[in-house]
Amino acid sequence: MSVSPRVPTVENDSIEDRLYTVKYDDPGDSHLDVKVPGFCAERCESYDCVSVCPADVWRAEDGGVPTIAYENCLECGSCRFACPYNNVSWEYPETGSGVSFSHG
Amino acid sequence: MTETPNYDGKFDAIVVGAGLAGSAAALSMAKRGLSPLVIERGTSPGTKNVFGGVLYTPTIRELVDLDDAPLERYVAEKRFSMLSEADETALSLRPGEWHDEPHNDSFTVLRGEFDEWFAERAVDAGATLLTETTVTGLLRENGRIVGVGTDRPDGRIRAPYVVLAEGGNSLVTERADLKERESRDHVAVAVKEVLEFPAREGVIEDRFRLTDDAGAAYNYFGEGAVGEAFGGGFLYTNDDTVSVGVAYRLSDAAASGQRPEETLNRFKSHPAVAPLVRDARTVEYSAKTIPEGGIESVPDLVHDGAVLVGDTAGLVLNNGVHLEGTNMAVESGVHAGAAIATAARQGRTDAAALSGYPSALSRSFVVENLERYAWLQEAAVADRELLFAELPRAVADAGAEYFRMDRDSKERHADRARERLLDAVGGYTGAAKLAARYRKVIA
Repeated sequence: MSVSPRVPTVENDSIEDRLYTVKYDDPGDSHLDVKVPGFCAERCESYDCVSVCPADVWRAEDGGVPTIAYENCLECGSCRFACPYNNVSWEYPETGSGVSFSHG
Repeated sequence: MTETPNYDGKFDAIVVGAGLAGSAAALSMAKRGLSPLVIERGTSPGTKNVFGGVLYTPTIRELVDLDDAPLERYVAEKRFSMLSEADETALSLRPGEWHDEPHNDSFTVLRGEFDEWFAERAVDAGATLLTETTVTGLLRENGRIVGVGTDRPDGRIRAPYVVLAEGGNSLVTERADLKERESRDHVAVAVKEVLEFPAREGVIEDRFRLTDDAGAAYNYFGEGAVGEAFGGGFLYTNDDTVSVGVAYRLSDAAASGQRPEETLNRFKSHPAVAPLVRDARTVEYSAKTIPEGGIESVPDLVHDGAVLVGDTAGLVLNNGVHLEGTNMAVESGVHAGAAIATAARQGRTDAAALSGYPSALSRSFVVENLERYAWLQEAAVADRELLFAELPRAVADAGAEYFRMDRDSKERHADRARERLLDAVGGYTGAAKLAARYRKVIA
């Protein structure tokens, strides 16, 4: 008899495949931005926006000002609350655009 | 764009957001003879809305006929589970009476369907619904809120009252200085997947021991659920899908550097969870922030010409055993709508004329419960290591000792189990202190 039972493997989708499950209408312009780029580039070391984002919107591969893949956004608002410099500019995507959850 | 009617000055009140709080407020006003306009930024109500999955319906039942509502399953089992990395210790409740109407007013729900249905009931009662329209700001005249700015061509819509029901990410309310941005210590990030099991029929019924419309609500806490964070995981059964997710403090998410989708993956791969969610297909992935600041974070609820309801007002209860928000959103909407109707009869918009709303809410379960657990989050965060890491391990170890099969006596097994528990909580003194500190969670 085996010592510990085999834990079934749970196949998890990549973030790309997960985001592919969500209906999205591109507003054309980003509803997200940083207010003062200098804060990100010079003061920020933790990039909490990157850590907390469930949708891989915020990316800071080589320091500096994060790039924003706004079309991934699930509109949860985590980045706005998480930023220690209150430096996230967040607007609702307009005229029905952005994410549309079927189930929610 | 099709020609848009002019809404300016045509309505008694404007509701910002057709979620549960907004539609409840609209229903409440319409039933009292007012004509509210509900403005929703999504393509239809619910498309921007996410929650874990259980809706408590005592208040909604008073507003609408639930027989036609798109409810998924009634909650026949509540299960609370402590997870360490490798162990699970759980308490399951399946009272027989939950199978009988009204099923303890607890149902799993998917918001896309439910919010649309609920908003339609508000329209049936006399509300007007305007979708794909984003409120961009509030209009003020001499300090009084007199309407909203929108992204429609004709922009401004004026009405005597504005109900702010825009959710926890309250951009309009904050911008109008009616609320401060909540601290990230008091906001949780939640991610969720809706799963289906395509392999064969009956997977959900078999895995969760269900028949007919019975459903299960599993809540998990401990390090095995969300790692080194204050929060937990959940599994809720819908009609033919399962909702699985995690929710934990944003400040912990930031500190850990572990991204929410990775936390979800780890939870789903826990030895006690993986057998329940294996061989699934993700139907939808979603995310949300939850205001968990409790009563201390509730802003002023009434202003000259405006009221705050639901998540915008921070009305969420999470004491580890009770996870509630949508029921409180509905309750707040009902009282806000009633107060507006009263003020409208007097032809007044000032905060004093609307004070029936905060006073009714204070007398309701909403504020009573929030006040009762005001102390809890701070205590639980301070005891996080003990409650979420040490205790789940100690309880599992103690259980293993107590039921150990060897040739020692039961008495020695019990002794070892007791030692393991006392060791974790700091002896009898520590155990007594812990019991005293948390007795009010259930007592």
